[in-house]
Amino acid sequence: MRYKALLAATAMALTAIPALAQENVTWWDFLSGGDGVRMKALIARFNDEHPDIKITGTTLEWGIPFYTKVRTAVAVGQGPDVMTYHLSRMPLGLEEGVLDEITDEDLKNAGVTKDSFFPASIKAASSDDGKLHAVPFDIHSIVLYYNKSYLEGSKFLDADGKLTGINNLKDFEEALALAKEKGAEAPVSYATGDDGGTFRVFYTLLRQQGGELITGKEVLAGDNLEKAAKAIEIMTNWATNGWQPEQAEYEASVALFTSGKSAFSLNGVWEVPTMIDLEKKGTLGYKWGAVQVPNLMGTQTTWADSHSFAIPANNKMSPEKRKAVMTVIGWMEKNSLAWAEAGHIPAYKEVAEGEAFRKMEPNATYAALANTASYDPRSPIAGVASPAYDAAINVISPAIHGYAEPMQAAEQIKQDLQEKLK
Amino acid sequence: MPMLTNRRKEMAVAASLVAPFVLTFVVVFLYPTIRLVQLSFTNAPLIGSGEWVGFDNFIRLLSDRLFLTSLKNNGYFVLLTVVPTTAVALGFALMIRRLRGALQALALAIFFLPYILPVSVVTQIWTWMLDFQFGVLQPVIEFFTGKPVSVFKNPYWVMPTVAAVTIWWTNGFNVLLFIAGLRNISKDYYEAAQLDGATRRQLFTKVTWPLLWPVTALVLTLQLILQLKIFDQVYLLSSGGPFNSSYVLLLMVYREAFQLNHGGYASTIALVLFIIIAMLSVLQFQLLRAGGRR
Repeated sequence: MRYKALLAATAMALTAIPALAQENVTWWDFLSGGDGVRMKALIARFNDEHPDIKITGTTLEWGIPFYTKVRTAVAVGQGPDVMTYHLSRMPLGLEEGVLDEITDEDLKNAGVTKDSFFPASIKAASSDDGKLHAVPFDIHSIVLYYNKSYLEGSKFLDADGKLTGINNLKDFEEALALAKEKGAEAPVSYATGDDGGTFRVFYTLLRQQGGELITGKEVLAGDNLEKAAKAIEIMTNWATNGWQPEQAEYEASVALFTSGKSAFSLNGVWEVPTMIDLEKKGTLGYKWGAVQVPNLMGTQTTWADSHSFAIPANNKMSPEKRKAVMTVIGWMEKNSLAWAEAGHIPAYKEVAEGEAFRKMEPNATYAALANTASYDPRSPIAGVASPAYDAAINVISPAIHGYAEPMQAAEQIKQDLQEKLK
Repeated sequence: MPMLTNRRKEMAVAASLVAPFVLTFVVVFLYPTIRLVQLSFTNAPLIGSGEWVGFDNFIRLLSDRLFLTSLKNNGYFVLLTVVPTTAVALGFALMIRRLRGALQALALAIFFLPYILPVSVVTQIWTWMLDFQFGVLQPVIEFFTGKPVSVFKNPYWVMPTVAAVTIWWTNGFNVLLFIAGLRNISKDYYEAAQLDGATRRQLFTKVTWPLLWPVTALVLTLQLILQLKIFDQVYLLSSGGPFNSSYVLLLMVYREAFQLNHGGYASTIALVLFIIIAMLSVLQFQLLRAGGRR
């Protein structure tokens, strides 16, 4: 009986295969947090809508593990068909030669053109000679989250309960002092004991002074050194005044804000879903908002990075498969409104400028930051999981905890990174 | 004539017996080593071949500040671990030897237990015990220093703490070696010495210590080699920071190779570390042997 059933099933399967001619697309990403859940939902939706294409997704560990695996897998021709890639990592990716070129024909198969995206992100996704090597998917940055309960009755909330009146560093520090007075354990929370958290705040403060981390082949050239020292000095000052948490790991820095112990938080847009979910559940206990990081130092800008889709080099894809891969990428772009729910700003103009996104809160409040965003320097030693990030945990984090003078720390960053750039 | 064929046969048998080892050795050790040396003279990426650059990598290494820092940190770590762990192991072994039967087995098991844990588990345990906010050991630290210390993020605490964790983790094996060494010393010597009126102190300095010396020399040499190869604990606990104060040579190899895609330069560092370890361990073992012959 069982044998017969098996036979029947096999026969059915055999007849089913040629009828469908399904393309299998292997997909790698590094999205394991709240945004990973949303990405998996997107993949499932795609698979439902496309009987002829099936995405098999694998989520790998973010950072060096992911990028090391990509490099070794591509070298032996065992890479995925499509993968997520940080645009800040593009210079190293190009140097390693792990990214296939994305031709205009590919874009046509995806149903998009270069003009469908913001020019800055297309530039970031291209090599110096203008060849496209990835399709931008989003722009993500840090934003300033605020807890209204600490600011009520002060000049920092307007009639609508929105954050206002922070136009320079002095205003911001006044708000921090006020929050401290009102009992905030850490008035501004960010991951002071973590590489990414520290780097993003440092880089924002540096860029807001008009400073550059790397110019040409030089690290912190000229007065950029003083500007870096100034940024570290500000962060140190926040620590000495008890305005920021001591040695906070990433999770702890989030928990400080969600549990109402911080008035502000400088963190990535990817925590927006966390806040929304908590508010919906009714466990947040206060009203919150998020705005782009105010202009504290004279120039309006914020650290930002982008997720993109890339096709590994050294692949032996059939034209049909490549077409399927581009279909996947195109579909993801057109449906990136769901991805915006993870806090990100879509890189695909039609969605980013569409009515639905413009109404999406709090994204709409801070979406303007995309126009003035500061990406990581275009260098093989900068970007996710790079020596620049290492410098944040190795030098900046201990310095802001008082283990080195700001100038000393800036000089060490310069020395360390300069050596790596050789 | 028959002698000759016999000899030939013997050779063939011998060859076939050593062949598996020789083959394995050549394939998994000798060949990679030769390739490593070759690579260290090129500018190869992590995967694929590069161009011959002569001694460029070595010249660059000598002027690489991070290399000198790492070398210094490796030396510091050796100082913090090799002799202390040997002394601690000897102390525990002497104590365990006094126990009898099941109690002795239990004590041995307790000391050996950490050794069988994987390094990731060990570092997790200690990360939590020493956690800045919630660590159970923070009150102890607070008692001595007046305030909690984020040990792996403090440039002065990081290396001693990593050393302490390492000693806790690996000490069981050394205890075992010492126990074996102590059991090999015949009871007769002690009895004879006691008849001559030797004190307990004399028993140790005149009987135990000299007779145990070969084992002590072995433990010291093994520890030197092992501790020069420090990587896992540093990578997992402090990733080289803060201010490079726990940056070690193997971490440098790892970062150059896997983060920056510099296969050639990473090979150069690895080769230099290999030479340093080989030289130091031979030197140390010879010195210790000379010391033992006194």
